[in-house]
Amino acid sequence: MQLLRTLVVGILLLLLPLPVLAYDVLVLQSLRERSYDEALRGVRRECAASMRTVVMSDYAEIDLTRLMREEHPRLIIAVGDRALEVAERQRNVPVLYMMALHAKVRPGAPVTGVWMMLDPQRYLSVFDSLGTRRVGVLYDPQRTGGYLKRAQVSARRSGIDLLAREVRSPKETVAVLESLRGKVDALWMLPDLTAVSTETTEAYFLFSQGERIPVVSFADAYLAMGGAVALSFDRYDIGRQLGGMAQSVLDGTAVEELPTQYPRRVLMKVNDGVLRRFKLAVPGGS
Amino acid sequence: MSLRFRIPHIAKNFRFRIYITFTATIALLTAAFAAFYVITEVNGFRATMEREGRLLATVLAQNSRLPLFAENREALALLAAGTARYPSVLYVSINNTEGRPLTEVNNPKGTAEGAIDMVVEVTSPGLVSSPEAVLLGHPPVDQQRVIGQVHLRLDTSSARERLQKLVAATLAIGTLFWIVVSLVSYQILKRVTASFNLLMRGIEDIGSGNLSARVDLDSDDELGRAANAINAMAASLELRELENLSLQEELLKAMRLEVQEEKKRVMARLIHTNKMTSLGLLLSSMAHEINNPNASIRFSGHIIAKIWNDAMPLLDGVWREEGEFYLGGLPFQQARGALQENAAKIVENSERIARVVQGLRDYGVGDRSGLRPDLEVNAAVEAALSVLACQMHKDIWLKTSLNRELPVITGNQHQIEQVLINLILNAMQAFPDGRGVVLLSTRFEAAAGEVVIEVEDDGVGISAENRERLFEPFYSTKLEQGGSGLGLYISQYIVAEHGGRLQLTPRPGGGTRARVVLPAQGPAPAAT
Repeated sequence: MQLLRTLVVGILLLLLPLPVLAYDVLVLQSLRERSYDEALRGVRRECAASMRTVVMSDYAEIDLTRLMREEHPRLIIAVGDRALEVAERQRNVPVLYMMALHAKVRPGAPVTGVWMMLDPQRYLSVFDSLGTRRVGVLYDPQRTGGYLKRAQVSARRSGIDLLAREVRSPKETVAVLESLRGKVDALWMLPDLTAVSTETTEAYFLFSQGERIPVVSFADAYLAMGGAVALSFDRYDIGRQLGGMAQSVLDGTAVEELPTQYPRRVLMKVNDGVLRRFKLAVPGGS
Repeated sequence: MSLRFRIPHIAKNFRFRIYITFTATIALLTAAFAAFYVITEVNGFRATMEREGRLLATVLAQNSRLPLFAENREALALLAAGTARYPSVLYVSINNTEGRPLTEVNNPKGTAEGAIDMVVEVTSPGLVSSPEAVLLGHPPVDQQRVIGQVHLRLDTSSARERLQKLVAATLAIGTLFWIVVSLVSYQILKRVTASFNLLMRGIEDIGSGNLSARVDLDSDDELGRAANAINAMAASLELRELENLSLQEELLKAMRLEVQEEKKRVMARLIHTNKMTSLGLLLSSMAHEINNPNASIRFSGHIIAKIWNDAMPLLDGVWREEGEFYLGGLPFQQARGALQENAAKIVENSERIARVVQGLRDYGVGDRSGLRPDLEVNAAVEAALSVLACQMHKDIWLKTSLNRELPVITGNQHQIEQVLINLILNAMQAFPDGRGVVLLSTRFEAAAGEVVIEVEDDGVGISAENRERLFEPFYSTKLEQGGSGLGLYISQYIVAEHGGRLQLTPRPGGGTRARVVLPAQGPAPAAT
């Protein structure tokens, strides 16, 4: 009898952690990255649900299906391209993603999130402010083809002539840029890994210097290399934006009802010296 | 031939040695500096060429980065051709990462000999991040990736030409510098060593014995101080030389005087010897002339005494028988005694004459055969007094004080007597009015082991002038009174021959004290 009682108490004690392991949100993080942490802080700011974070780079392989079966999270937040890729494979739990530059989502999949690319209209507004009508842009259809289509639609609305040139290999970038010589008033640098590689980045700015046209890029770092204007996002705010979406999903909103969103907060920085040299007005200035 | 003999002479020249050393050193230094300069210049030029080549290659690498990445051969060919236009570039190639040339340019105008090959890698730009990293906020990382390489071959013929010109110019400048420095240094050395030569000439003059020579060098440097020191030394030497000459002269003078004195003394001895020889001959002759009649007189005396002795008994019988009768004006009894006494006196005085003559003879011939080891001085004194008994005047009082415990001496009694006779006679003749007291004394000074005989008078004494010449032979203050001037001379000689000394000193209270000191044979005999 005594032995039976001890056995029962031991089993109860073993089952005691189970309620602790129960959580609402599985945060699937590609790797340990400070910018991801920054974005996740924004998520936690807006979403009070319980979360468990799994950093994929800490494991050789993640058996997400088993994890889903055993832990039953209500929502997966994928941070990074790899996390999105893994999370998308399961179809039972809705997935919200962020900080995924190459986010590709199968149609109909319960996946939504916040892009890492800004609304094209924001860029077009800058070009409009700068007074540049012919804007050259290089892109890889495999990477940023969809984005560029949306951009072309917006450009047509804005009256801006978007001269888009496809590049399928980084080696083509220089030659394609040369093909734009004399044809554009500004260059739009997309965060496209084919169009903008470490080897060809300077080609944009050499072209800018040679043609005396501004380059509008997607990050402040390029201002130092000769960029004129940089439009970037706030990682923390992206987290908050996604946290709001997560909370909505947890509150019962269907994922399908939540479209993928552009980052809502845009940070603009300009290189005054370049603008002055090119005799251009500061965007948004009087 | 003159050259062969001149070279060693010149080689010993201080100025020449310094000049040769200095010019050789300058030549070596100039050569070393020229070599260093040429090597440095060549190295510098080569380094400059390499640097320029590297710069060219780097610029080409920078410019060809995008075309190389894009494998744009046309653009690369243009860039290579642009670089090949530089005169020092012989060959340009831009290669991909496998080393395969994407473009090549050969410049045939140069020569490949000694060419410099320069290879610079073409890298992707550093501090450029990928768009993804930029979006994630990663700081830029300097990770350059090699995407190809640029190969340049540089012509160094211009460097060789420059080297030849540089060597020629350096040699010319170095030689000119050496000549100029040598000429200037010769002039400087000439001025500097002029003082040295002056000093050497002065030293040589002084060294050759010309102590009056001086180094005429007026400066306050080391040479000037050396010249002053040498001049001071020469002056000191000259002074010593003069002092030496003076001393030599004085020495010669003194030696000359000494020789003259010695000569005088030798001459005096010669004269003395001659005189003594003459005196000896005279005395011998006199002894012979006196001894013969004296012997006859003594014989006659003996005959008279013998005859009288034979005649006296007869005459006594006559007297007794016939009474008083007279002989020679004297009664017989008185004449009997007087005749006997006079006959004895004839014999006695004749013997004394014989002894005196013998003494004179012995003295004259320097006879020393009469030396006795047991001579009693008092006996000699008494003998002398007996000789002088007949010479005594009634106005002269002779007092004697003889010590009877005198030790014997080694000597000749006759000669000692002779000395005493001379001294007593001198004392007796010292009284101007023929009156006075002569004191004769003997004593023994045990401390010195000497027997002293003193003859004192209270006469006129000896003047200072005469005192120095007392013992000169034939010098006498009584030549008109029959003095020979030999008494004291002979006396001193005799005393000296006996190992003693004769002293004449003024007597306290007036007069003269003659003192004969003779070495005693032994201690004084015990009193009896």
